[in-house]
Amino acid sequence: MPLYEGIGAITDKLVVVIDIGAAYTKLGFSGEFSPRCIIRSEVKCKDTGRVRNIRDYENAQDLYDLLVDFVHMLYFKYALLSPKDRPVVIIESLLCPTIFRETLAKVLFCHYEVSMMLVLPSHLVCLAPLAVDTALVLDVGYTEAIAIPVCHGLPVIHAWQALPIASQAVHGNLKTLLTACNTGINSISEWTIEDIKVRCCFVTTQKRAQEFSKATPEITTCLEVKYPLEGSRTLTIPGKVRETVYEIFFEEDNDHQCMSTMILDAILKVNVDLRIKLSENIVIMGGTAMTPGFKNRLKDELYKQLKSDRYSKLKITKFKFHSPPSKDNYTAWLGGAIYGCTELLSMKGLSRENYLKENRLPDWANMKDNLRTL
Amino acid sequence: MSYIIGSDVVRYACTCGILKPISKLYFCRHCLEVRCGFCVCHEVDSHFCGKCAENLPSSEARLKKNRCGNCYDCPSCHQQLTTRAATVGPKNPEDPKATPRKVFYLLCLLCRWSSRDVGIPDQSAVSGGWPERENIHANRLQEIQDMYKGIVLLDKQQKLEKDKKKQRRYMSFTDRTGITASMLRKRVGLPDIPHPLLKPKPKEPEPAVAKEDVEELPEELLTKPVNLCEVTTMEQRLVQPEWQPITVEKLFPIHKQLSVKRSQRCRSCEHNVSKPEYNPNSIKFKIQLFACFHIPEVRIVTVEPLRAGKTCELLLKFSNPTQHQTVITFLPVTLEMEETKISEQVTEDKSVVDDYLLEKKQPLSLTGTGSQPSSLLHASLSRQPSITVKPRPIAVPVVADITIPTSTFILPPRDDAAEYDDSGDTHNIQDDSKLVIWRKSNKAVVKLQVTPKEDLKIGDEVVAGFTMQHIYVNTITTVDNKEPQKCEHKVKVFVTLGNLVGSE
Ligand SMILES: [Zn+2]
Ligand SMILES: [Zn+2]
Ligand SMILES: [Zn+2]
Ligand SMILES: [Zn+2]
Repeated sequence: MPLYEGIGAITDKLVVVIDIGAAYTKLGFSGEFSPRCIIRSEVKCKDTGRVRNIRDYENAQDLYDLLVDFVHMLYFKYALLSPKDRPVVIIESLLCPTIFRETLAKVLFCHYEVSMMLVLPSHLVCLAPLAVDTALVLDVGYTEAIAIPVCHGLPVIHAWQALPIASQAVHGNLKTLLTACNTGINSISEWTIEDIKVRCCFVTTQKRAQEFSKATPEITTCLEVKYPLEGSRTLTIPGKVRETVYEIFFEEDNDHQCMSTMILDAILKVNVDLRIKLSENIVIMGGTAMTPGFKNRLKDELYKQLKSDRYSKLKITKFKFHSPPSKDNYTAWLGGAIYGCTELLSMKGLSRENYLKENRLPDWANMKDNLRTL
Repeated sequence: MSYIIGSDVVRYACTCGILKPISKLYFCRHCLEVRCGFCVCHEVDSHFCGKCAENLPSSEARLKKNRCGNCYDCPSCHQQLTTRAATVGPKNPEDPKATPRKVFYLLCLLCRWSSRDVGIPDQSAVSGGWPERENIHANRLQEIQDMYKGIVLLDKQQKLEKDKKKQRRYMSFTDRTGITASMLRKRVGLPDIPHPLLKPKPKEPEPAVAKEDVEELPEELLTKPVNLCEVTTMEQRLVQPEWQPITVEKLFPIHKQLSVKRSQRCRSCEHNVSKPEYNPNSIKFKIQLFACFHIPEVRIVTVEPLRAGKTCELLLKFSNPTQHQTVITFLPVTLEMEETKISEQVTEDKSVVDDYLLEKKQPLSLTGTGSQPSSLLHASLSRQPSITVKPRPIAVPVVADITIPTSTFILPPRDDAAEYDDSGDTHNIQDDSKLVIWRKSNKAVVKLQVTPKEDLKIGDEVVAGFTMQHIYVNTITTVDNKEPQKCEHKVKVFVTLGNLVGSE
């Protein structure tokens, strides 16, 4: 590694930054302000021609093979760079399964022989583009919504909240709602459902949602959309479905939990003197957060919850939200790209030599100390 | 020609344990081993634009963010955009001398999207000078990035300082508490004293300020009908990650992404097994150690109906692709990779990387592969030695036994001229007539006995395997070996014979 770096010019500071999300992967280079590409986290199986999401693995070996194909595509189709002897920054969710992170490290170090790997927790690095060190971070992605308070550059892990209310849940709900007025919904691919969701649906206002929940709503819904499917088929997307498909985010489940309570519960678990600071520094990221009306509605829901007895002891009067200099779906990536061009890579990155010597990946819980100076 | 259209009824086992048709395998002449796309090291060789076929040096490609400066893709359907010319009237219609001007715009011939649709002004030159968009946050992000660089650098320097102090057995307050002086100062509200040896700290941008207001729900979503043609799809958004336009009038031409030519390198000996020519217009290779040029090819001619426990006849055709005569010997197949030299080296402890080992780059034990060319020695200065993958067990259910013939047979060298010679073969080869039933130039058909296992059910796929040993003539000349070296190479071949049929 030092020898190679010394020869220089070939490698200088070309650091690939990868954020492998459940639905989409963000890939780019450190020091740049947007990812080069945002692609689906899936690979086409060469033998069967079947497209598989890399999280749908059967076992470690299967995942290894999926990741080998996936990383190959990332480097040779998008980054256009040889991975060997080059550093890489990986953005990782705090809830990333151990098998996934360990297999990914094995693929990068052993199969692609990267020289150095720096793993950064997404909830922490997303604050870098804002230059703040204390915030409540809500990440609404594909499989789950996760809220974690970050205080003085340290994620307060014991306060984390997660619920399976994110993109995937909306897709399921959309399918159910559409079945009532259309036929053959089950045969529609997940990506078409996503397209319908993205182009037709939105998060309605609190007032309208309350009206809808009544037995006889006294409002007119927004207009229905005729969505053309392949060939001559047309789907009818009723106005009510367009408005209310996201309601599952704000309906309390059996444990009385929903998107808004997650944030408040996370704040509750933090020291009293930090609570106001957190409520006035809310960062929302993840592709689902880009839905029209989502942030507005979440704000209203937060104020509504605040009035309930559950949160009376919070003593919060207002919420403030950050708007990062990025699209919500790559805020964490951008943070990683900023960290990636600092010396942190050489200071805290895991080198291939050490990985092969120690045969293990530092647990991210150990990394919190590593990152505390920022 | 079945392998060309991808049917893989005859598969060879790569050294790494993966089964592939011969068309997808490499043969490293230096290690004398089969390699495949999975177990070689891929490298980016050269960047080029797939539309204008311009070759870009990798430094330039990096500067241009891996995109062609002249070619554009359609933001709507992602096909290539064409530059179209239009004539506009003279600026001053009164002036009879004024000639009409030519202007250019971009048009997609597939979906008819045009740069005029989104109000991009027409250009007066063919090559464009099309407007580029800037990230509106770039300045602030640059400041933030510089700040982070500064903080981390400071931290690094302080750590080095601390390490020095430690060596002097000097204890400071910060050492005991474990937080850096700079953090401590910040906490108690003292200004940070810049270290005399450090450059003055860059001006720190203010932290972002959160607001009570958030994006409202656009009112028109509730009242106006949605025209799906005006709302972008997910693909259209994500192909421009920086902007992710929601409506079609915000689409913008996309610089075409470059493609790369790749070379493949054997991970054991660091020699290339495939290297394309640099010129993007050329489809030729500088190095092409494809297995189908070195290893006899096996094809299934015919097989009798397969019945459980019944022996049936299998005809296989062998052809020799090399310029040297070879002798084929059949050996039984074992599914475990008998790489004893590897298993000896691997330690027993259960670790994440026990499947891998760092190959010691010493001259290989195989004869004829001695010293390396000087170009490689040079390359090894910048390359770290590769990690070699420990082979995985072959994952194929072999459910039929092939009776291994005791006799061997000869395959003459390939002679392209003989293909057109109908005058009959003049070969003088003494064949075991029970084994070889037909031969012509470099090809021979052999008859084997195959017995599907007793416990198979009707409809089950029948796979059989054997090890093919052939004489390989290594023509690589080295300093110590001027003469071509003959050696025996073994490769496991698996044939998928079809499905089991009923008993009579
Ligand atoms: Zn080799
Ligand atoms: Zn292989
Ligand atoms: Zn071009
Ligand atoms: Zn088009």
